[in-house]
Amino acid sequence: MTANRENGGQTLIETLGLERLEVNLFRGTTPDAEQRQRIYGGQVIAQSLLAAYETVEDRVCHSLHCYFIRPGDPSIPIVFEVDRSRDGGSFTTRRVIAVQHGQQIFNLAASFQTDEQGYEHQSDMPDAPAPDEVEGDAEARKRIAEMIPPEDEDWIDRHQPIEMKTVGGRFDEVAPKPGERVQQVWFRATDPIGGDPRLHQVVMAYASDMSLLGTSIRPHGVSWRTPGFQAASLDHAMWFHRPTDFNQWHLYQQESPSAAGGRGFNLGYIYRASDGALVASCAQEGLMRLRKPKS
Amino acid sequence: MSDAAETEGQDETLTETLQLERIEENLFRGTTPDSRPGRIFGGQVIAQSLLAAYETIETRVCHSLHCYFIRPGDPTVPIVFEVDRSRDGGSFTTRRVIAIQHGKQIFNLAASFKDPEKGFEHQTSMPAGPHWSELPDQMEMIREAMKNAPEEAKRWLSRPQPIEMRSQDARTYWKSGPKEPVAQNWFRCATPIGDDPHMHQVILAYASDMNLLSTGMRPHGIHWQTPNFQSASLDHAMWFHRPTDFNQWHLYVHDSPSASDGRGLIRGAIYAEDGVLVASVAQEGLMRMRT
Repeated sequence: MTANRENGGQTLIETLGLERLEVNLFRGTTPDAEQRQRIYGGQVIAQSLLAAYETVEDRVCHSLHCYFIRPGDPSIPIVFEVDRSRDGGSFTTRRVIAVQHGQQIFNLAASFQTDEQGYEHQSDMPDAPAPDEVEGDAEARKRIAEMIPPEDEDWIDRHQPIEMKTVGGRFDEVAPKPGERVQQVWFRATDPIGGDPRLHQVVMAYASDMSLLGTSIRPHGVSWRTPGFQAASLDHAMWFHRPTDFNQWHLYQQESPSAAGGRGFNLGYIYRASDGALVASCAQEGLMRLRKPKS
Repeated sequence: MSDAAETEGQDETLTETLQLERIEENLFRGTTPDSRPGRIFGGQVIAQSLLAAYETIETRVCHSLHCYFIRPGDPTVPIVFEVDRSRDGGSFTTRRVIAIQHGKQIFNLAASFKDPEKGFEHQTSMPAGPHWSELPDQMEMIREAMKNAPEEAKRWLSRPQPIEMRSQDARTYWKSGPKEPVAQNWFRCATPIGDDPHMHQVILAYASDMNLLSTGMRPHGIHWQTPNFQSASLDHAMWFHRPTDFNQWHLYVHDSPSASDGRGLIRGAIYAEDGVLVASVAQEGLMRMRT
């Protein structure tokens, strides 16, 4: 198990860890540099949130909003610069930019607050088969291994820091058929996160960029393996409603209200399996375009 | 002075009152049309920040914006908007804006712009509900609300109304008692916006901050005039799916998936009268009872 882990046996939390260069300046690296051409978006969200947290005392993140501006380069470190926008009576606001090669690749704004009690309501967790009744995405990938191009073989059994199980079976990206504009995924962190509730948010933010954009792609019978098809996260917003233990199973309920103009819009709701509590909401717009073959 | 300010607010169109003065290439200054002491309406700062970003962009169209309300705005002094040209890319342009008063950030916005293109299409259907023509007109609604409204609300309701709004439960809004966390409002800009499609987005952004938070309060039998109740927009996100003419009626559908920890999240979808989904909105707001 440990042999499979990224970066010589480090847990996800360890690989996301930042080095402090100055009071408001941090540096992070990409764990599996040799395996990817781009940095996975969730990594930059998680590290930016960690950078913001390094400048915040005792308050908990309740929301974040980010933009993916340029593709991240996995072969060099990322520098995170924090702007201390406000330290207020009950709220703290931060902005972060992630920089590589002298250019902004990403920005995040986030807000933090002290715990308080108050009005409570939430939408109900939708029906879904229990996680142990759903095939894991890792198994589903192995099942289609012979259809995957040899250069992608490491994709089959790469260590996955997030365990995922797509309800109704993983979307068939080799022969995609049009599906509903809704999707349900069970997910949880594979490596132990520990006792710090802030790190559970960071890892959940990391995971929340997975599969969400796929919801707006499903109705259109294409996948990221379709020749000429281009997809990328453009932004990401997340609201943390209630604290949770992300080593436990959560249902990621996703729907896509709109696709137009080369962009798909997606909403996601994260429910805790054990009691149905709504722990977070997400919104993401992604690029989804089919480039016409040049004639 | 106060007379002049009121006349100004009524004579100018919303498009005119939102206009900015360019101080430097990336620096702009705007004012609050109603400069009476109090707070600045959040939608005004969203709209002016989007305008500031647009002033630094050639031809591309905004497809999304994300903002935070950081400090209460002061209507008695101008707001300075500082634009960061984050990227001018092959297909996308990214901007960040901070709004400053008294040397402090009161608000930040990030937004993305692109050229229009054709592609995959889907959208949710407009939900059923009464048509705007079946709902009481706004002046009637205000007259009714004024009868039972507290003094502060009367002052608020008597301001110029650049956005015309028709609400399904206009007649029962002030009545207490828990309701479902869903709402429908018809709205449009009452003054001519003109031909610039960017300006229709700017004013839609302005209007999208109206009434949103009250949907999160509905299950709890409270509204923004409940004694000791404190509410404020914390953030605002908006995605412009399709172009539209905001001088025409639109249906604004709200629902609130969650409230906890002194905060409520509200989601909005804006449909043109023919059912086209033109924009989506998300906002978290403070909702707490002072103890």
